[in-house]
Amino acid sequence: MTTGINRHKWEPYLWLLPSTLLVSVFVLFPILIVFKLSFSEISPAGVVGGFIGFDNYVEAINLPAFKAVMLNTLWWVLSVVIISTILGFIIALVLNQKFHGRKIARSILVFPWATSLVIQASVWNYIIKYEYGSLNNVLLNLGIIKQAINFRSSYQIEFIWECWVGIFVTVPFVTFCVLSGLQSIDVSLYEAATMDGAGFWHKLRHITLPLVKPSLTVSTVLNIIYVFNSFPIVYTMTKGAPAHKTDTMITYLYMLSFYERKKGPATALSVIGFLILCLCAGIYMMTVMRKEEQQ
Amino acid sequence: MKKLFSLFLVLVLAFCAVTAAFADDITLDVIICQYGPNTNNWFERGGTGMDGSNFVEEFEAANPGIKLNLEVVSWNDVHQVVDTRIANGNAPDILNLDTFSEFLPDDLLLPVEEYTTEELFADFFPAFMQDFLVDGEYWAVPDLASARALYYNVDILEEAGVEVPTTWAELEDAAQAIIDFYDGEVYPWGIDMTTDEGQAAFAYYTWGNGGGFTDEDGEWALNSDENVEAIEYAIGLVNAGYTNPNPATQTRYDLQDMFATGKLAMMIGPNQIPTYVKDKGGDINMATASLPANEGKVSASVGVKDVMMAFRDDSVEDQDARNEAISAFMTFFYDPDNYVGWVSMEDFLPAVNSAVEALVEENPSFEAWLNVLATCKFYPTSKAEWAQVRQGVTTVEQNALTGADVRAELDALQAEITGE
Repeated sequence: MTTGINRHKWEPYLWLLPSTLLVSVFVLFPILIVFKLSFSEISPAGVVGGFIGFDNYVEAINLPAFKAVMLNTLWWVLSVVIISTILGFIIALVLNQKFHGRKIARSILVFPWATSLVIQASVWNYIIKYEYGSLNNVLLNLGIIKQAINFRSSYQIEFIWECWVGIFVTVPFVTFCVLSGLQSIDVSLYEAATMDGAGFWHKLRHITLPLVKPSLTVSTVLNIIYVFNSFPIVYTMTKGAPAHKTDTMITYLYMLSFYERKKGPATALSVIGFLILCLCAGIYMMTVMRKEEQQ
Repeated sequence: MKKLFSLFLVLVLAFCAVTAAFADDITLDVIICQYGPNTNNWFERGGTGMDGSNFVEEFEAANPGIKLNLEVVSWNDVHQVVDTRIANGNAPDILNLDTFSEFLPDDLLLPVEEYTTEELFADFFPAFMQDFLVDGEYWAVPDLASARALYYNVDILEEAGVEVPTTWAELEDAAQAIIDFYDGEVYPWGIDMTTDEGQAAFAYYTWGNGGGFTDEDGEWALNSDENVEAIEYAIGLVNAGYTNPNPATQTRYDLQDMFATGKLAMMIGPNQIPTYVKDKGGDINMATASLPANEGKVSASVGVKDVMMAFRDDSVEDQDARNEAISAFMTFFYDPDNYVGWVSMEDFLPAVNSAVEALVEENPSFEAWLNVLATCKFYPTSKAEWAQVRQGVTTVEQNALTGADVRAELDALQAEITGE
């Protein structure tokens, strides 16, 4: 009996050991190395020198493109996460209804999510190309426009396109998260509400939203992390051009490290990004959890 | 039991013999940049121009005791791969890249004399080698070169009634005539100011205005009056609508595609363009000319040469044996039997005299390009700051495209690079 109790004490830790080891080796260890590197002198070729305090951080913050890139990152994360959450929620509501071809519609929705981001971004590059782009071709053939439109006429518009592709590939993830939440709601709740005379908006506000909130929380937190760290869309579509004006923090630190050869500030930026991400995800989760506890 | 024991002994002995044999082998880590679809083939797979076998197989067969761990890496990823390896203390033995000077401050490179025979050293074009001389030592050898010229669509220019421009003023007149004749359907002039080729754009216009990256003493002179005027001129072409609309994101390959389909009338490009156009199924009447220069300034051809270099590895006990292995690689690579296939595979120009005759015999147009090459100016790749300058001038151009003041941008870059 005593042996049984002892076994139960250490058994969970034993089962957790493999994943703990994996996370330590492939996640924690690299994070610690980047923290150490951010306080070290690093030559343009990548040779790591001695401790230099916060010099890399000071240099990173004083880089001419720093403010613009931070602002871009904020817009990028907010627009992609908020818009894709709203769109994903609406699509999930539609896909939760019974209609012919629902399975096909759900399958089609997986495609943007299942396809590699580099392929997605490349395809969108071809779609909006001025010279031979398919969007211009379609609009011209339909007679909607008489002359090809330059869909990338300024860097602001190029950045909006990047955000659009980000939204396009993120919507399916939100949809499926919300859909799984919707499917777990007991139909009798809606039936009871209908009996009491509740309309669509009332049911949405007082039944659907509160009950899919856990799913939305998960998808939002994960999306903040995924979208903030997303590299392929921006890199494939513009490489941050012109002059980092369409860069987000992740692509910027890559360009800084491997194109501008400023590896010290690049590692400092990656630490800053990591801390911002921890802070955002932490605040969001704490707020939501507190509200749930209060409820 | 005895049988089992004997079998075990035999296996142990066999294992020892095999490991001993491999222990004597030297394995060289080689990183080659991917110049095109044939690079992997030539080095690692079916082989192009190597009679069905590939370079690695041929080399290992000809050099017993030396193994090649050769990796072909795309130009987009090569800096990331190399820098990561260096940061982890695992630099390659031999590296093919477009620059070498960034590795000098950390004393990572092996001097050329350590791994190049006198015969091979004498075979390199002397003008090329001069650029690899830093502090009395040569640090890299050229692997190939390409020369840039103005390519133009003969039919478009004829129909628009314009001559090939030789000066900047003529270029503007020709561009306006093409715009007027084709009602804006054809872009007169191609400009690539992306991170791929921004430094080339800087070279085309500043060298054509008597400026450039450095002054006569070889010191950085990025903010000279000539350079400011040249970049303002190039940006002016874009703003006037004479060029492709998005120079910051449209690469040379986009321009080549447009040129191949007759959407673009003129562009500056390397000697591989005819092959590229042909491969794309383009059927245009094209010709080449010198790059237009500012009035009263000399037109300068722009040359690009890539390099091979060897890294130090202090962890190796027998340094002489390692150097000999690297030397064997270089000698085999530059052997005309192999090197001619390597250079002609992607239509590049050679860097050694011994390959010239065979290449001209194979493709007579090479001779004209070799003459162009002899008069080319090259990037100052021997300066340690080159990698930052290369990216810096591209950033200046891209900022200028969005309305920034060229002089202020170049002043800031000069100050950053020189630390003044």
